[in-house]
Amino acid sequence: MNSDAYTLITGASSGLGRQTAEHLSRSRRLILHGRDPARLIETRDLCQNPDRHLLWNFDLRQGNELEASLTRFIDLNQLAIEGFVHSAGTLDIQPLRLVERDSAHEIMEVNFMCALHILRLLVRRKVNGKHLRGVVFISSTASQFGARGFSVYCASKGALDAFMRAAAVELAPDIRVNSVLPGAIRTAMTEAMLDDVDVRTRMQSEYPLGIGEPADIAAAVEFLLSDQARWITGQQFVVDGGRSVNITT
Amino acid sequence: MSAVSETAFDNPLSLHARRILVTGAASGIGRATCTLLSQLRARVVAVDVDEAGLEGLQKDLAGEGHARSCFDLEDVERIPTWMTEVALAGGPIFGVVHAAGLPCVRPLRLLTPEVYRKVLLLNTEAALALARGFQKKAVGDPRGGSIVFISSVMALVGAPGAAAYSLSKAALHGLARSLAVELAPVKIRVNCIAPGFVRTPMFERMAAQWDNVELNRVEQAHPLGLGAPADVANGVVFLLADTGRWITGSVLTLDGGYSAQ
Repeated sequence: MNSDAYTLITGASSGLGRQTAEHLSRSRRLILHGRDPARLIETRDLCQNPDRHLLWNFDLRQGNELEASLTRFIDLNQLAIEGFVHSAGTLDIQPLRLVERDSAHEIMEVNFMCALHILRLLVRRKVNGKHLRGVVFISSTASQFGARGFSVYCASKGALDAFMRAAAVELAPDIRVNSVLPGAIRTAMTEAMLDDVDVRTRMQSEYPLGIGEPADIAAAVEFLLSDQARWITGQQFVVDGGRSVNITT
Repeated sequence: MSAVSETAFDNPLSLHARRILVTGAASGIGRATCTLLSQLRARVVAVDVDEAGLEGLQKDLAGEGHARSCFDLEDVERIPTWMTEVALAGGPIFGVVHAAGLPCVRPLRLLTPEVYRKVLLLNTEAALALARGFQKKAVGDPRGGSIVFISSVMALVGAPGAAAYSLSKAALHGLARSLAVELAPVKIRVNCIAPGFVRTPMFERMAAQWDNVELNRVEQAHPLGLGAPADVANGVVFLLADTGRWITGSVLTLDGGYSAQ
């Protein structure tokens, strides 16, 4: 690991992205990406060595401006980026008949297309030399299973994982690309949902090991980025407390 | 960055004072796992039929409190009783790694019951018997535990002559999934690692029968090249340690990209 090189985390202003940033900040210099500048600063303050990390404030829904924004950011700061974690994600639970074109596009854009666009830029020599080593996408068990109201979300995570495998094959052996597939994690986003006794009881029975903590996912991300995973690429790593193998509920 | 930095007092992979039983410990993936576990301060119970190999392993192990057991896992009926003896002698067991395995490359017409039963016995039935032994109160660590079966990418793909091996390894995935759900209430996690082709003595014996074209073909099939036993050991300790706290019923495919293309 190059101590001057950075790891970019998208969606770092909340939830899993924030927790992963806190976790990785102990050993890495980070570029914290998010669309809300105030929350991004909060994330940096939660990190170890806050002054080592940089903030890239950008709204991933502005897809057309991504290339200009990221290349300018890298150029201005003279950055070498060795790691990329795509944690940004958005969810809109809607029955298929009510799905709107714009909303579907936005979910595909943030959850999948942005991962593709950022990765294609980070492997351009003019942009990032040959510095990139490890890539981890925060996917979801939704890429493997269906759920009512999740059609677009499932499709976006499925696309992300299919892209992950193709990128892994194409970019080997210099760059490794993997996905982590979390089940339900206790975050700010799910906290309100889990406060509901009925929902919590149902979830506890569906998850053989109970509801997960963000640290459980962050540990898997850190492992996949590290040299200990030097022979792992193109894989979907399911971290879900046994939910996806459990049919007893 | 080292996986095994002992100076980091909060090494998340630390297995300090936890007893881990490893089968197939005398060589290959089992041996690399024992070595790494000892560096993470675990107490290793090294199991193999190869007594000389177990003897040779001792010099690789860091720290103290390790044990070895020369036991033939083909004696599946006796596995749970033997595990009780191991626990009585040295304390409860926190983790079990089933790395022992019998390779088999044989066309279907030569795949007699005698041949495939032997493969299933060691690769699959022994795994089930190890889990049966582990869940006994007298054996498992009351804090819970973690089981890791070493399966194979051959559990996910097919190849001519691989029927028996494939069958025996794919069965481990099914076994792990059901045990994961059944044993979660007693805090035992069960996962598999499916390695691609790793440079182990077992692999070298197989590769000795190949010409260069065949060897090249196998190497080319792995975008990151062939693996080393230590690569697999790194995945095993991640699943054993608290880093794998919320992982059960999962298969970690560790294959240099073999199954991605």
